[in-house]
Amino acid sequence: MTTLSIDIKWSKDNFKLDIRADFSEGITGIFGSSGAGKSSLLQLIAGLEKIDEGQIKIGSDILDHTETKHFTPSHKRKLGYVFQEGRLFPHMNVRQNLLFGTKFLKNNEQQFNFNEIVELLEIEPLLKKIPKQLSGGEKQRVAIGRSLLSSPRLLLMDEPFSALDVSLRRQIIPFLTKINKKLKLPILVVSHDLPDLLSLSQKLLLVKNGQVLAQGNYFELVEKDLLIDIMEASGLNNVISFKLTHVETNYYELSKKTEGGELKIKRQKQMQHFEIGDNINVSLRPEDIAIALHQVKDVSIRNQLEGTISSIIKHENRIYCLVDVGFKLLVSITETSLNSLKLTQGKTVWCLFKSMALKINI
Amino acid sequence: MHLLSMTNYIDFTTTEWDAISLSLQVAFWSALLCLPFAIFTGWFLARRKFKAKFLFEGFINLPLVLPPVATGFILLLLLGRNGLIGQYLNEMFGIKIAFSYYAAIIASMIVAFPLSVRSMRLSIEMIDPAYEEAAKTLGANRWQSFFRVTLPMALPGIISGFILAFARSLGEFGATIIFAGNIAGETQTLPLALYSAIQIPGQETSAFRLLIIAVLFSFIAMAGSEFLVKKLHHRKHKA
Repeated sequence: MTTLSIDIKWSKDNFKLDIRADFSEGITGIFGSSGAGKSSLLQLIAGLEKIDEGQIKIGSDILDHTETKHFTPSHKRKLGYVFQEGRLFPHMNVRQNLLFGTKFLKNNEQQFNFNEIVELLEIEPLLKKIPKQLSGGEKQRVAIGRSLLSSPRLLLMDEPFSALDVSLRRQIIPFLTKINKKLKLPILVVSHDLPDLLSLSQKLLLVKNGQVLAQGNYFELVEKDLLIDIMEASGLNNVISFKLTHVETNYYELSKKTEGGELKIKRQKQMQHFEIGDNINVSLRPEDIAIALHQVKDVSIRNQLEGTISSIIKHENRIYCLVDVGFKLLVSITETSLNSLKLTQGKTVWCLFKSMALKINI
Repeated sequence: MHLLSMTNYIDFTTTEWDAISLSLQVAFWSALLCLPFAIFTGWFLARRKFKAKFLFEGFINLPLVLPPVATGFILLLLLGRNGLIGQYLNEMFGIKIAFSYYAAIIASMIVAFPLSVRSMRLSIEMIDPAYEEAAKTLGANRWQSFFRVTLPMALPGIISGFILAFARSLGEFGATIIFAGNIAGETQTLPLALYSAIQIPGQETSAFRLLIIAVLFSFIAMAGSEFLVKKLHHRKHKA
């Protein structure tokens, strides 16, 4: 397993960056508003910029260490970098772009097979095209493939969603999930869009003004009241990981098993890029969940989950209940409800929501 | 002699053929030899920032504004038989550069160099350094990213720079006549032959023939260069 450890100071113009963090396996989302220093952080990790002070290492391999004046140039770092705009070489076709990095590898350094990557990213039909003939999403997949074929130890992604249209932006998610799972490659994803990021990973690093605000799981951060401000602007959401259980040509089914039973979603839509058994993130807005003290029998709402209140978060004039129903659910309630239901930490409650309130992020 | 008779304009004499062929050779070699230096200097100016850049640029561009005769004179002072370097070359290796075919090439190279550099610099500046960054993250070192990414992307501009240097060399007169002389069959290029033909009474048709060739060559070269620059712009916007 590769752990990336950074402890760095860097400044440019009037901007100061001072970050200490460890990244282990899995997908980690680096989140912050524009200008928080997220992209600079990636560039420093990739060696495209030089740190002023501190060190960067992967496992026991020290990339940069200012005390010993050690600096590894970009091309020797073995880190994949997928740029926001793709940066495919316009004078090469897709195949040549994909193979670019392999030219600088020794035979035994080749980590992934060309065909395996082409298949995984579904880019076989594009191989003979040139970059300007590709759509935004296709460009991005080719850029990812090109990075992977250079046999990186870690994949850095800069705003993978923002170069794409709203309707297409989440198409990249299944591919990233697969890369992480099948190729066992850690991924750092930088984004200023939290809902997009959450549909990919719940492991987050929050960056603000060049500093780490917090690092941890999404709900831990919510509980610490660190995310609500930022989230309210972009839409506060619960993210629930479902499993794909059934795929037909015109519909598919997702399921989430909990202690109290099973949640099921059936949608009349085509399912692309995913296979049975894959995890798919589903979001649910806190306003769409109701709290009851008992199970409600005579109601059309079929999704009813029993849980205990793990915390009550008061944020300005809003109140959120974090309920543990086997997984964490953030529920928005009014002060009146809080008082009339006498909700307190540790109390057993039921969370009710309609199936249609579940939004599938693909 | 009939100025209007068609055959007079295609009936080239040996001296004229020699001058045309020599011109093409000198222009080709000087543009080609300029190329690697111009690419490197162009890249240096496009990608590097340093304090004394304006001094360096001023020096590089000197032959562009200096009277070519002065450039020729400087070359003579440096590489002539009694020149600073020429003396040494002559004594140590018996190499005499001035007033030779090679002198014509060197004179053309020096005069065409700033134009060539300018063209290389502009075409390299047009290539976003972001592509070099991408190449580096894929394992290419500085040279590899330059030769595999920047250079091929800038190719139309580089060819256009080559043609520009070639065209400038074709027209080179002042530095050549001072440094290489006007020796028919050896250093007498087209402009020098034209000059001689104008000087001698009764050589008007010869002068006309050379004039037409000069106009033709220059026009083809400039149009070709413009075409390639357009292609580079086009490439850039479509990428």
